[in-house]
Amino acid sequence: MAKDVKPTRKNLMAIEDRIELSERGHDTLEKKRDGLIMEFMDILDQAQDVRDQMDDRYERAQRAINMARAMEGDVSVRGAAAALKEHPEITTQSKNIMGVVVPQIESSKVKKSLDERGYGVVGTSARIDEAAEAYEELLETIILAAEVETAMKKMLTEIETTKRRVNALEFTLLPQLYENQEYIEQKLEEQEREEIFRMKKIKAKKEEEESAARAEAEEEAEDEEAEEPVTADD
Amino acid sequence: MSIQNQGGSNYEYVTARVRSRRARLFDEDDYRKLTRMGTGEIARFMEESEYETEMNALGSRHSGGDLIEYALNRNLAANFEDLLRWADGRLYDYTARYLRKFDAWNVKTTLRGIYSDAERGEVEDDFIRAGELGEARLNRLLDAASMEEAIEALRGTMFHGPLTAALEIYEEHGELVPLENAVDRGFYGRLLEGLPEEPDRATELYIEFLRAEIDFRNLRNAFRLAYSGADIDPADYYIDGGRLFDEGDLRQLASNPDELAARVRDSPYGEDLDAALDGLERAEGLVGFENALDAALLEYSDQLSNRYPLSVCPVLGYVLAKEREVDNIRAVARGREAGLGEDEISEELVIL
Repeated sequence: MAKDVKPTRKNLMAIEDRIELSERGHDTLEKKRDGLIMEFMDILDQAQDVRDQMDDRYERAQRAINMARAMEGDVSVRGAAAALKEHPEITTQSKNIMGVVVPQIESSKVKKSLDERGYGVVGTSARIDEAAEAYEELLETIILAAEVETAMKKMLTEIETTKRRVNALEFTLLPQLYENQEYIEQKLEEQEREEIFRMKKIKAKKEEEESAARAEAEEEAEDEEAEEPVTADD
Repeated sequence: MSIQNQGGSNYEYVTARVRSRRARLFDEDDYRKLTRMGTGEIARFMEESEYETEMNALGSRHSGGDLIEYALNRNLAANFEDLLRWADGRLYDYTARYLRKFDAWNVKTTLRGIYSDAERGEVEDDFIRAGELGEARLNRLLDAASMEEAIEALRGTMFHGPLTAALEIYEEHGELVPLENAVDRGFYGRLLEGLPEEPDRATELYIEFLRAEIDFRNLRNAFRLAYSGADIDPADYYIDGGRLFDEGDLRQLASNPDELAARVRDSPYGEDLDAALDGLERAEGLVGFENALDAALLEYSDQLSNRYPLSVCPVLGYVLAKEREVDNIRAVARGREAGLGEDEISEELVIL
Protein backbone atom coordinates (compact mmCIF):
# COMPACT_ATOMS: atom_id res chain seq x y z
CA MET A 1 0.00 0.00 0.00
CA ALA A 2 1.23 3.41 -0.95
CA LYS A 3 0.46 4.84 2.50
CA ASP A 4 2.93 2.42 4.10
CA VAL A 5 5.79 3.98 2.17
CA LYS A 6 7.72 6.85 3.70
CA PRO A 7 7.56 9.73 1.24
CA THR A 8 11.23 10.48 1.11
CA ARG A 9 13.40 11.28 -1.85
CA LYS A 10 15.58 8.26 -1.05
CA ASN A 11 12.57 5.97 -1.20
CA LEU A 12 11.48 7.59 -4.43
CA MET A 13 14.86 6.90 -5.96
CA ALA A 14 14.74 3.31 -4.71
CA ILE A 15 11.26 2.84 -6.18
CA GLU A 16 12.35 4.33 -9.48
CA ASP A 17 15.21 1.84 -9.56
CA ARG A 18 12.79 -1.01 -8.81
CA ILE A 19 10.41 0.19 -11.52
CA GLU A 20 13.22 0.26 -14.04
CA LEU A 21 14.33 -3.24 -13.02
CA SER A 22 10.76 -4.58 -13.04
CA GLU A 23 10.02 -3.09 -16.45
CA ARG A 24 13.18 -4.62 -17.83
CA GLY A 25 12.31 -7.97 -16.19
CA HIS A 26 8.77 -7.73 -17.53
CA ASP A 27 10.04 -7.18 -21.07
CA THR A 28 12.49 -10.06 -20.78
CA LEU A 29 9.90 -12.42 -19.31
CA GLU A 30 7.42 -11.43 -21.98
CA LYS A 31 9.98 -12.26 -24.66
CA LYS A 32 10.74 -15.55 -22.89
CA ARG A 33 7.03 -16.39 -22.69
CA ASP A 34 6.55 -15.67 -26.39
CA GLY A 35 9.66 -17.70 -27.26
CA LEU A 36 8.48 -20.59 -25.11
CA ILE A 37 5.06 -20.49 -26.73
CA MET A 38 6.65 -20.65 -30.17
CA GLU A 39 8.85 -23.58 -29.13
CA PHE A 40 5.85 -25.19 -27.49
CA MET A 41 3.80 -24.90 -30.68
CA ASP A 42 6.59 -26.67 -32.60
CA ILE A 43 6.77 -29.41 -29.96
CA LEU A 44 2.98 -29.63 -29.91
CA ASP A 45 2.91 -30.29 -33.67
CA GLN A 46 5.63 -32.90 -33.24
CA ALA A 47 3.79 -34.45 -30.28
CA GLN A 48 0.58 -34.69 -32.29
CA ASP A 49 2.42 -36.36 -35.16
CA VAL A 50 4.11 -38.79 -32.78
CA ARG A 51 0.80 -39.50 -31.04
CA ASP A 52 -0.91 -40.21 -34.38
CA GLN A 53 2.00 -42.40 -35.41
CA MET A 54 1.84 -44.21 -32.06
CA ASP A 55 -1.90 -44.87 -32.47
CA ASP A 56 -1.34 -46.22 -35.98
CA ARG A 57 1.54 -48.39 -34.92
CA TYR A 58 -0.33 -49.65 -31.87
CA GLU A 59 -3.21 -50.72 -34.07
CA ARG A 60 -0.83 -52.37 -36.52
CA ALA A 61 1.04 -54.14 -33.73
CA GLN A 62 -2.18 -55.34 -32.10
CA ARG A 63 -3.42 -56.60 -35.43
CA ALA A 64 -0.12 -58.37 -36.10
CA ILE A 65 -0.05 -60.04 -32.69
CA ASN A 66 -3.71 -61.00 -32.95
CA MET A 67 -3.04 -62.55 -36.33
CA ALA A 68 0.04 -64.33 -35.00
CA ARG A 69 -1.90 -65.62 -31.99
CA ALA A 70 -4.76 -66.66 -34.23
CA MET A 71 -2.69 -68.44 -36.85
CA GLU A 72 0.29 -69.70 -34.86
CA GLY A 73 -1.38 -70.10 -31.49
CA ASP A 74 -0.85 -68.30 -28.24
CA VAL A 75 1.63 -70.93 -27.16
CA SER A 76 3.94 -70.30 -30.14
CA VAL A 77 3.81 -66.56 -29.72
CA ARG A 78 4.57 -66.77 -26.01
CA GLY A 79 7.37 -69.22 -26.72
CA ALA A 80 8.96 -66.90 -29.27
CA ALA A 81 8.60 -63.94 -26.90
CA ALA A 82 10.21 -65.88 -24.07
CA ALA A 83 13.28 -66.51 -26.21
CA LEU A 84 14.27 -62.85 -26.21
CA LYS A 85 17.62 -62.40 -24.51
CA GLU A 86 18.61 -58.78 -24.97
CA HIS A 87 15.88 -56.52 -23.74
CA PRO A 88 15.62 -52.95 -25.01
CA GLU A 89 17.40 -50.33 -22.95
CA ILE A 90 16.95 -46.61 -22.62
CA THR A 91 19.30 -43.92 -21.36
CA THR A 92 18.18 -40.42 -20.52
CA GLN A 93 20.14 -37.22 -21.00
CA SER A 94 18.92 -33.67 -20.79
CA LYS A 95 18.89 -30.73 -23.14
CA ASN A 96 18.03 -27.07 -22.60
CA ILE A 97 15.26 -25.33 -24.53
CA MET A 98 15.13 -21.63 -23.49
CA GLY A 99 16.12 -22.46 -19.95
CA VAL A 100 13.82 -25.45 -19.65
CA VAL A 101 15.60 -28.71 -19.02
CA VAL A 102 13.88 -31.44 -21.02
CA PRO A 103 14.83 -35.11 -21.27
CA GLN A 104 16.50 -36.63 -24.28
CA ILE A 105 15.83 -40.36 -24.38
CA GLU A 106 18.22 -42.59 -26.26
CA SER A 107 17.10 -46.15 -26.89
CA SER A 108 19.12 -49.14 -27.88
CA LYS A 109 18.39 -52.73 -28.84
CA VAL A 110 14.78 -51.88 -29.71
CA LYS A 111 14.87 -52.70 -33.41
CA LYS A 112 16.25 -56.16 -33.83
CA SER A 113 17.17 -58.23 -36.79
CA LEU A 114 15.86 -61.76 -37.15
CA ASP A 115 18.98 -63.26 -35.59
CA GLU A 116 18.79 -60.99 -32.54
CA ARG A 117 15.27 -61.90 -31.53
CA GLY A 118 16.35 -65.09 -29.85
CA TYR A 119 13.94 -67.53 -31.46
CA GLY A 120 14.95 -70.04 -34.08
CA VAL A 121 13.88 -69.54 -37.69
CA VAL A 122 12.93 -73.15 -38.29
CA GLY A 123 10.18 -73.50 -35.72
CA THR A 124 8.56 -70.10 -36.23
CA SER A 125 6.84 -68.24 -39.03
CA ALA A 126 6.74 -64.92 -40.85
CA ARG A 127 3.69 -63.94 -38.77
CA ILE A 128 5.79 -63.95 -35.61
CA ASP A 129 8.43 -61.87 -37.44
CA GLU A 130 5.72 -59.40 -38.46
CA ALA A 131 4.36 -59.15 -34.91
CA ALA A 132 7.87 -58.73 -33.45
CA GLU A 133 8.73 -56.05 -36.00
CA ALA A 134 5.46 -54.20 -35.43
CA TYR A 135 6.05 -54.16 -31.67
CA GLU A 136 9.63 -52.99 -32.10
CA GLU A 137 8.38 -50.08 -34.20
CA LEU A 138 5.67 -49.35 -31.63
CA LEU A 139 8.20 -49.33 -28.80
CA GLU A 140 10.42 -46.92 -30.71
CA THR A 141 7.48 -44.56 -31.16
CA ILE A 142 6.51 -44.88 -27.49
CA ILE A 143 10.04 -43.86 -26.47
CA LEU A 144 9.93 -40.89 -28.85
CA ALA A 145 6.47 -39.95 -27.55
CA ALA A 146 7.73 -40.14 -23.97
CA GLU A 147 10.53 -37.71 -24.86
CA VAL A 148 8.34 -35.28 -26.78
CA GLU A 149 5.41 -35.35 -24.38
CA THR A 150 7.61 -34.88 -21.31
CA ALA A 151 9.28 -31.92 -23.04
CA MET A 152 5.83 -30.59 -23.88
CA LYS A 153 4.62 -30.89 -20.29
CA LYS A 154 7.75 -29.24 -18.93
CA MET A 155 7.44 -26.43 -21.47
CA LEU A 156 3.82 -25.98 -20.53
CA THR A 157 4.67 -25.74 -16.83
CA GLU A 158 7.41 -23.22 -17.63
CA ILE A 159 5.06 -21.18 -19.83
CA GLU A 160 2.53 -21.12 -17.01
CA THR A 161 5.16 -20.00 -14.49
CA THR A 162 6.50 -17.32 -16.86
CA LYS A 163 2.98 -16.13 -17.63
CA ARG A 164 2.23 -15.86 -13.91
CA ARG A 165 5.44 -13.90 -13.40
CA VAL A 166 4.66 -11.55 -16.31
CA ASN A 167 1.15 -11.03 -14.99
CA ALA A 168 2.39 -10.48 -11.45
CA LEU A 169 4.78 -7.82 -12.71
CA GLU A 170 2.26 -6.26 -15.08
CA PHE A 171 -0.79 -6.25 -12.89
CA THR A 172 0.48 -6.24 -9.32
CA LEU A 173 4.06 -5.18 -8.78
CA LEU A 174 4.43 -2.45 -11.39
CA PRO A 175 1.05 -0.77 -10.64
CA GLN A 176 1.94 -0.82 -6.97
CA LEU A 177 5.35 0.68 -7.65
CA TYR A 178 3.79 3.33 -9.91
CA GLU A 179 1.28 4.11 -7.20
CA ASN A 180 4.03 4.42 -4.60
CA GLN A 181 6.06 6.58 -6.93
CA GLU A 182 3.09 8.85 -7.56
CA TYR A 183 2.28 9.00 -3.86
CA ILE A 184 5.81 9.94 -2.93
CA GLU A 185 6.04 12.46 -5.75
CA GLN A 186 2.78 14.03 -4.66
CA LYS A 187 3.86 14.05 -1.05
CA LEU A 188 7.22 15.54 -1.95
CA GLU A 189 5.56 18.20 -4.09
CA GLU A 190 3.21 18.98 -1.24
CA GLN A 191 6.10 19.22 1.15
CA GLU A 192 7.85 21.54 -1.30
CA ARG A 193 4.79 23.67 -1.61
CA GLU A 194 4.44 23.84 2.17
CA GLU A 195 8.07 24.77 2.44
CA ILE A 196 7.70 27.54 -0.10
CA PHE A 197 4.60 28.78 1.63
CA ARG A 198 6.38 28.68 4.95
CA MET A 199 9.36 30.49 3.55
CA LYS A 200 7.09 33.09 2.02
CA LYS A 201 5.38 33.53 5.35
CA ILE A 202 8.69 33.93 7.15
CA LYS A 203 9.87 36.32 4.51
CA ALA A 204 6.68 38.38 4.81
CA LYS A 205 6.94 38.36 8.54
CA LYS A 206 10.53 39.38 8.36
CA GLU A 207 9.71 42.18 5.94
CA GLU A 208 6.90 43.29 8.19
CA GLU A 209 9.21 43.37 11.17
CA GLU A 210 11.82 45.21 9.21
CA SER A 211 9.35 47.83 8.01
CA ALA A 212 8.02 48.20 11.54
CA ALA A 213 11.52 48.70 12.83
CA ARG A 214 12.23 51.21 10.13
CA ALA A 215 9.04 53.16 10.88
CA GLU A 216 9.89 53.23 14.56
CA ALA A 217 13.32 54.50 13.83
CA GLU A 218 11.95 57.24 11.66
CA GLU A 219 9.50 58.28 14.35
CA GLU A 220 12.21 58.47 16.93
CA ALA A 221 14.26 60.62 14.67
CA GLU A 222 11.39 63.01 14.15
CA ASP A 223 10.82 63.26 17.88
CA GLU A 224 14.43 64.08 18.52
CA GLU A 225 14.33 66.83 15.98
CA ALA A 226 11.27 68.43 17.64
CA GLU A 227 12.73 68.52 21.17
CA GLU A 228 15.95 70.45 20.20
CA PRO A 229 16.57 73.62 22.69
CA VAL A 230 16.17 77.35 21.57
CA THR A 231 19.47 79.40 21.52
CA ALA A 232 20.29 83.10 23.10
CA ASP A 233 20.01 84.76 19.86
CA ASP A 234 16.28 83.99 20.06
CA MET B 1 12.42 -93.71 -29.11
CA SER B 2 10.24 -96.76 -29.06
CA ILE B 3 11.11 -99.42 -31.55
CA GLN B 4 7.87 -100.74 -32.95
CA ASN B 5 8.82 -100.93 -36.57
CA GLN B 6 9.54 -104.62 -36.50
CA GLY B 7 7.03 -107.03 -37.92
CA GLY B 8 4.13 -106.50 -40.30
CA SER B 9 2.10 -103.38 -40.73
CA ASN B 10 -1.67 -103.22 -40.21
CA TYR B 11 -2.54 -100.81 -43.02
CA GLU B 12 -6.11 -102.05 -43.46
CA TYR B 13 -7.05 -101.52 -39.82
CA VAL B 14 -5.36 -98.16 -39.42
CA THR B 15 -6.49 -96.67 -42.72
CA ALA B 16 -10.09 -97.74 -42.03
CA ARG B 17 -10.04 -96.00 -38.66
CA VAL B 18 -8.29 -92.99 -40.14
CA ARG B 19 -10.96 -92.71 -42.84
CA SER B 20 -13.63 -92.72 -40.19
CA ARG B 21 -11.78 -90.02 -38.20
CA ARG B 22 -11.20 -87.98 -41.30
CA ALA B 23 -14.90 -88.01 -42.14
CA ARG B 24 -15.55 -86.35 -38.80
CA LEU B 25 -13.28 -83.37 -39.48
CA PHE B 26 -14.95 -79.98 -39.83
CA ASP B 27 -15.91 -79.12 -43.40
CA GLU B 28 -16.21 -75.80 -45.20
CA ASP B 29 -19.78 -75.40 -43.98
CA ASP B 30 -18.70 -75.76 -40.35
CA TYR B 31 -16.01 -73.12 -40.83
CA ARG B 32 -18.55 -70.80 -42.42
CA LYS B 33 -20.72 -71.20 -39.31
CA LEU B 34 -17.75 -70.80 -36.98
CA THR B 35 -16.56 -67.54 -38.55
CA ARG B 36 -19.94 -66.00 -37.69
CA MET B 37 -19.81 -67.07 -34.04
CA GLY B 38 -18.33 -65.43 -30.98
CA THR B 39 -15.82 -67.25 -28.75
CA GLY B 40 -18.56 -68.54 -26.43
CA GLU B 41 -20.59 -69.91 -29.30
CA ILE B 42 -17.51 -71.56 -30.80
CA ALA B 43 -16.84 -73.21 -27.45
CA ARG B 44 -20.43 -74.45 -27.32
CA PHE B 45 -20.20 -75.70 -30.91
CA MET B 46 -17.05 -77.59 -30.00
CA GLU B 47 -18.69 -79.10 -26.94
CA GLU B 48 -21.15 -80.76 -29.27
CA SER B 49 -18.45 -82.10 -31.56
CA GLU B 50 -15.37 -84.32 -31.43
CA TYR B 51 -13.86 -81.94 -28.90
CA GLU B 52 -16.47 -82.57 -26.19
CA THR B 53 -14.21 -84.55 -23.83
CA GLU B 54 -11.39 -82.01 -23.94
CA MET B 55 -13.73 -79.02 -23.59
CA ASN B 56 -15.37 -80.57 -20.53
CA ALA B 57 -12.04 -81.54 -18.99
CA LEU B 58 -10.51 -78.08 -19.41
CA GLY B 59 -13.64 -75.98 -18.93
CA SER B 60 -13.03 -75.42 -15.21
CA ARG B 61 -9.44 -74.25 -15.70
CA HIS B 62 -9.59 -72.10 -18.81
CA SER B 63 -12.04 -69.93 -20.64
CA GLY B 64 -12.47 -68.10 -23.97
CA GLY B 65 -9.74 -68.47 -26.58
CA ASP B 66 -7.40 -70.22 -24.13
CA LEU B 67 -9.96 -72.96 -23.45
CA ILE B 68 -10.45 -73.54 -27.17
CA GLU B 69 -6.72 -73.57 -27.91
CA TYR B 70 -5.83 -75.94 -25.09
CA ALA B 71 -8.76 -78.22 -25.97
CA LEU B 72 -7.63 -78.27 -29.61
CA ASN B 73 -4.07 -79.15 -28.64
CA ARG B 74 -5.22 -81.86 -26.27
CA ASN B 75 -7.57 -83.34 -28.87
CA LEU B 76 -4.81 -83.26 -31.48
CA ALA B 77 -2.52 -85.08 -29.07
CA ALA B 78 -5.20 -87.71 -28.28
CA ASN B 79 -5.87 -88.32 -31.96
CA PHE B 80 -2.22 -88.74 -32.88
CA GLU B 81 -1.62 -90.89 -29.83
CA ASP B 82 -4.38 -93.15 -31.14
CA LEU B 83 -2.60 -93.36 -34.51
CA LEU B 84 0.59 -94.51 -32.83
CA ARG B 85 -1.38 -96.94 -30.68
CA TRP B 86 -3.13 -98.47 -33.67
CA ALA B 87 -0.15 -98.66 -36.02
CA ASP B 88 2.25 -101.56 -36.07
CA GLY B 89 5.52 -102.30 -37.78
CA ARG B 90 6.70 -100.04 -40.56
CA LEU B 91 3.48 -98.05 -40.52
CA TYR B 92 4.19 -97.12 -36.92
CA ASP B 93 7.67 -95.99 -37.92
CA TYR B 94 6.42 -93.89 -40.84
CA THR B 95 3.75 -92.25 -38.71
CA ALA B 96 5.99 -91.67 -35.72
CA ARG B 97 8.68 -90.13 -37.92
CA TYR B 98 6.37 -87.27 -38.79
CA LEU B 99 4.74 -86.96 -35.37
CA ARG B 100 8.10 -86.54 -33.69
CA LYS B 101 7.80 -82.89 -34.66
CA PHE B 102 5.57 -82.58 -31.59
CA ASP B 103 8.39 -84.03 -29.52
CA ALA B 104 10.59 -81.33 -31.00
CA TRP B 105 7.92 -78.80 -30.04
CA ASN B 106 7.77 -80.07 -26.44
CA VAL B 107 11.55 -80.06 -26.12
CA LYS B 108 11.72 -76.48 -27.45
CA THR B 109 8.93 -75.43 -25.08
CA THR B 110 10.89 -76.89 -22.16
CA LEU B 111 14.09 -75.12 -23.21
CA ARG B 112 12.25 -71.83 -23.63
CA GLY B 113 10.62 -72.32 -20.22
CA ILE B 114 13.99 -72.87 -18.55
CA TYR B 115 15.45 -69.92 -20.46
CA SER B 116 12.71 -67.54 -19.36
CA ASP B 117 12.28 -68.98 -15.82
CA ALA B 118 8.70 -69.97 -16.54
CA GLU B 119 6.65 -71.92 -14.00
CA ARG B 120 6.37 -75.68 -14.45
CA GLY B 121 2.59 -75.37 -14.93
CA GLU B 122 2.98 -72.81 -17.72
CA VAL B 123 5.38 -75.09 -19.61
CA GLU B 124 3.15 -78.11 -19.04
CA ASP B 125 0.11 -76.26 -20.39
CA ASP B 126 2.01 -75.52 -23.58
CA PHE B 127 2.96 -79.14 -24.23
CA ILE B 128 1.30 -80.93 -27.14
CA ARG B 129 1.54 -84.57 -26.19
CA ALA B 130 1.15 -85.85 -29.73
CA GLY B 131 4.66 -87.16 -30.22
CA GLU B 132 6.50 -90.24 -29.17
CA LEU B 133 8.07 -89.05 -25.91
CA GLY B 134 6.31 -90.79 -23.04
CA GLU B 135 4.75 -89.32 -19.91
CA ALA B 136 7.75 -90.19 -17.72
CA ARG B 137 10.20 -88.51 -20.11
CA LEU B 138 8.05 -85.40 -20.39
CA ASN B 139 7.80 -85.22 -16.60
CA ARG B 140 11.59 -85.46 -16.33
CA LEU B 141 11.78 -82.59 -18.82
CA LEU B 142 9.34 -80.55 -16.75
CA ASP B 143 11.37 -81.23 -13.61
CA ALA B 144 14.61 -80.05 -15.24
CA ALA B 145 15.90 -76.86 -13.64
CA SER B 146 18.73 -76.22 -16.08
CA MET B 147 19.56 -76.77 -19.73
CA GLU B 148 22.02 -79.50 -18.75
CA GLU B 149 19.33 -81.38 -16.80
CA ALA B 150 16.85 -81.04 -19.67
CA ILE B 151 19.38 -82.35 -22.18
CA GLU B 152 20.25 -85.18 -19.81
CA ALA B 153 16.56 -86.06 -19.60
CA LEU B 154 16.62 -86.53 -23.38
CA ARG B 155 19.43 -89.07 -23.34
CA GLY B 156 18.61 -91.87 -25.77
CA THR B 157 16.43 -89.69 -28.00
CA MET B 158 17.34 -88.11 -31.35
CA PHE B 159 17.59 -84.71 -29.66
CA HIS B 160 20.33 -85.57 -27.17
CA GLY B 161 23.28 -85.57 -29.57
CA PRO B 162 22.58 -82.27 -31.39
CA LEU B 163 21.62 -80.55 -28.13
CA THR B 164 24.79 -81.67 -26.36
CA ALA B 165 26.81 -80.28 -29.28
CA ALA B 166 24.89 -76.98 -29.19
CA LEU B 167 25.11 -76.58 -25.41
CA GLU B 168 28.65 -75.26 -25.62
CA ILE B 169 27.61 -72.48 -28.02
CA TYR B 170 24.65 -71.69 -25.79
CA GLU B 171 26.88 -71.41 -22.75
CA GLU B 172 29.30 -69.20 -24.65
CA HIS B 173 26.76 -66.73 -26.08
CA GLY B 174 23.75 -67.20 -23.83
CA GLU B 175 21.42 -67.38 -26.84
CA LEU B 176 18.66 -69.92 -27.25
CA VAL B 177 18.82 -70.10 -31.05
CA PRO B 178 21.57 -72.76 -31.28
CA LEU B 179 19.60 -75.05 -28.97
CA GLU B 180 16.35 -74.52 -30.88
CA ASN B 181 18.12 -75.15 -34.16
CA ALA B 182 19.68 -78.30 -32.71
CA VAL B 183 16.22 -79.61 -31.81
CA ASP B 184 14.86 -78.87 -35.29
CA ARG B 185 17.91 -80.40 -36.89
CA GLY B 186 17.50 -83.44 -34.65
CA PHE B 187 13.97 -83.87 -35.96
CA TYR B 188 14.59 -83.18 -39.64
CA GLY B 189 17.87 -85.12 -39.60
CA ARG B 190 16.02 -88.29 -38.64
CA LEU B 191 13.03 -87.73 -40.90
CA LEU B 192 14.55 -89.53 -43.88
CA GLU B 193 16.90 -91.82 -41.99
CA GLY B 194 16.60 -95.58 -42.38
CA LEU B 195 13.97 -95.55 -45.10
CA PRO B 196 14.01 -98.48 -47.55
CA GLU B 197 16.40 -98.10 -50.46
CA GLU B 198 13.99 -99.68 -52.89
CA PRO B 199 10.59 -98.65 -51.63
CA ASP B 200 7.23 -99.56 -53.13
CA ARG B 201 5.36 -96.81 -54.97
CA ALA B 202 3.35 -95.70 -51.92
CA THR B 203 6.45 -95.47 -49.71
CA GLU B 204 8.26 -93.71 -52.52
CA LEU B 205 5.53 -91.08 -52.58
CA TYR B 206 5.64 -90.86 -48.79
CA ILE B 207 9.37 -90.17 -49.03
CA GLU B 208 8.64 -87.63 -51.73
CA PHE B 209 6.19 -85.97 -49.39
CA LEU B 210 8.78 -85.81 -46.63
CA ARG B 211 11.23 -84.28 -49.09
CA ALA B 212 8.61 -81.74 -50.08
CA GLU B 213 8.11 -80.94 -46.39
CA ILE B 214 11.87 -80.36 -46.08
CA ASP B 215 11.94 -78.31 -49.30
CA PHE B 216 9.09 -76.14 -48.09
CA ARG B 217 10.78 -75.66 -44.73
CA ASN B 218 14.00 -74.64 -46.51
CA LEU B 219 11.99 -72.34 -48.76
CA ARG B 220 10.28 -70.64 -45.83
CA ASN B 221 13.62 -70.12 -44.13
CA ALA B 222 15.31 -68.88 -47.30
CA PHE B 223 12.60 -66.32 -48.02
CA ARG B 224 12.48 -65.15 -44.41
CA LEU B 225 16.23 -64.70 -44.34
CA ALA B 226 16.21 -63.01 -47.75
CA TYR B 227 13.50 -60.53 -46.76
CA SER B 228 14.73 -59.88 -43.21
CA GLY B 229 18.15 -58.67 -44.35
CA ALA B 230 19.61 -60.20 -41.15
CA ASP B 231 23.24 -61.13 -41.12
CA ILE B 232 22.69 -64.85 -40.78
CA ASP B 233 24.46 -67.62 -42.61
CA PRO B 234 21.61 -69.43 -44.46
CA ALA B 235 23.56 -72.66 -44.10
CA ASP B 236 22.81 -72.54 -40.35
CA TYR B 237 19.19 -73.16 -41.20
CA TYR B 238 19.64 -75.53 -44.10
CA ILE B 239 17.95 -78.89 -43.69
CA ASP B 240 19.40 -81.71 -45.68
CA GLY B 241 17.22 -84.12 -47.64
CA GLY B 242 15.18 -81.85 -49.92
CA ARG B 243 15.09 -81.89 -53.71
CA LEU B 244 15.04 -78.20 -54.41
CA PHE B 245 18.49 -77.05 -53.42
CA ASP B 246 21.64 -77.95 -51.54
CA GLU B 247 23.47 -75.95 -48.89
CA GLY B 248 25.58 -74.00 -51.42
CA ASP B 249 22.52 -73.07 -53.50
CA LEU B 250 20.69 -71.87 -50.43
CA ARG B 251 23.61 -69.71 -49.33
CA GLN B 252 23.72 -68.09 -52.73
CA LEU B 253 19.96 -67.71 -53.23
CA ALA B 254 19.11 -66.40 -49.76
CA SER B 255 20.80 -63.11 -50.58
CA ASN B 256 18.79 -62.68 -53.77
CA PRO B 257 15.00 -63.03 -53.39
CA ASP B 258 14.35 -62.61 -57.13
CA GLU B 259 16.67 -65.42 -58.08
CA LEU B 260 15.18 -67.54 -55.31
CA ALA B 261 11.66 -66.95 -56.67
CA ALA B 262 12.84 -67.79 -60.20
CA ARG B 263 14.32 -71.06 -58.94
CA VAL B 264 11.03 -72.01 -57.25
CA ARG B 265 9.06 -71.16 -60.41
CA ASP B 266 11.25 -73.55 -62.40
CA SER B 267 10.95 -76.32 -59.81
CA PRO B 268 8.24 -79.05 -59.64
CA TYR B 269 6.48 -76.87 -57.04
CA GLY B 270 6.36 -73.90 -59.42
CA GLU B 271 2.82 -74.49 -60.60
CA ASP B 272 1.38 -74.72 -57.06
CA LEU B 273 3.28 -71.71 -55.79
CA ASP B 274 3.08 -69.45 -58.82
CA ALA B 275 0.29 -67.22 -57.50
CA ALA B 276 1.92 -66.97 -54.08
CA LEU B 277 5.22 -65.96 -55.67
CA ASP B 278 3.43 -63.25 -57.66
CA GLY B 279 1.99 -61.96 -54.38
CA LEU B 280 5.43 -61.99 -52.86
CA GLU B 281 6.82 -59.95 -55.74
CA ARG B 282 3.99 -57.45 -55.26
CA ALA B 283 5.36 -57.02 -51.70
CA GLU B 284 2.25 -58.54 -50.09
CA GLY B 285 4.40 -60.06 -47.37
CA LEU B 286 5.60 -63.52 -46.60
CA VAL B 287 2.49 -64.63 -44.78
CA GLY B 288 0.51 -65.30 -47.96
CA PHE B 289 3.40 -67.27 -49.34
CA GLU B 290 3.62 -69.39 -46.19
CA ASN B 291 -0.12 -70.07 -46.39
CA ALA B 292 0.34 -71.15 -50.01
CA LEU B 293 3.10 -73.55 -48.92
CA ASP B 294 0.77 -75.06 -46.30
CA ALA B 295 -2.05 -75.39 -48.81
CA ALA B 296 0.25 -77.02 -51.38
CA LEU B 297 1.52 -79.54 -48.84
CA LEU B 298 -2.01 -80.31 -47.70
CA GLU B 299 -3.21 -80.79 -51.25
CA TYR B 300 -0.25 -83.00 -52.02
CA SER B 301 -0.93 -85.24 -49.02
CA ASP B 302 -4.58 -85.42 -50.03
CA GLN B 303 -3.73 -86.55 -53.54
CA LEU B 304 -1.49 -89.25 -52.11
CA SER B 305 -4.26 -90.50 -49.80
CA ASN B 306 -6.63 -90.94 -52.69
CA ARG B 307 -4.10 -92.62 -54.93
CA TYR B 308 -2.79 -95.13 -52.38
CA PRO B 309 -5.59 -95.89 -49.93
CA LEU B 310 -3.79 -98.83 -48.35
CA SER B 311 -0.52 -97.20 -47.44
CA VAL B 312 0.91 -94.68 -45.02
CA CYS B 313 -0.40 -91.90 -47.31
CA PRO B 314 -3.98 -91.72 -45.90
CA VAL B 315 -2.52 -91.63 -42.37
CA LEU B 316 -0.23 -88.79 -43.35
CA GLY B 317 -3.10 -87.04 -45.13
CA TYR B 318 -5.18 -87.31 -41.96
CA VAL B 319 -2.33 -85.99 -39.78
CA LEU B 320 -2.02 -82.92 -41.97
CA ALA B 321 -5.76 -82.40 -42.28
CA LYS B 322 -6.21 -82.70 -38.51
CA GLU B 323 -3.39 -80.25 -37.89
CA ARG B 324 -4.98 -77.86 -40.36
CA GLU B 325 -8.36 -78.24 -38.65
CA VAL B 326 -6.81 -77.35 -35.31
CA ASP B 327 -5.04 -74.36 -36.89
CA ASN B 328 -8.24 -73.21 -38.58
CA ILE B 329 -10.46 -73.47 -35.49
CA ARG B 330 -7.83 -71.72 -33.40
CA ALA B 331 -7.57 -69.01 -36.04
CA VAL B 332 -11.31 -68.48 -36.01
CA ALA B 333 -11.56 -68.43 -32.20
CA ARG B 334 -8.54 -66.18 -31.65
CA GLY B 335 -9.52 -64.02 -34.59
CA ARG B 336 -13.05 -63.52 -33.23
CA GLU B 337 -11.65 -62.86 -29.78
CA ALA B 338 -9.39 -60.17 -31.25
CA GLY B 339 -12.32 -58.61 -33.07
CA LEU B 340 -11.26 -59.57 -36.59
CA GLY B 341 -13.98 -59.57 -39.24
CA GLU B 342 -15.47 -62.61 -40.93
CA ASP B 343 -13.72 -61.88 -44.22
CA GLU B 344 -10.35 -61.29 -42.58
CA ILE B 345 -10.56 -64.63 -40.79
CA SER B 346 -11.83 -66.50 -43.85
CA GLU B 347 -8.88 -65.21 -45.87
CA GLU B 348 -6.48 -66.81 -43.41
CA LEU B 349 -8.08 -70.23 -43.32
CA VAL B 350 -6.57 -73.01 -45.39
CA ILE B 351 -9.43 -75.30 -46.33
CA LEU B 352 -9.05 -78.12 -48.77
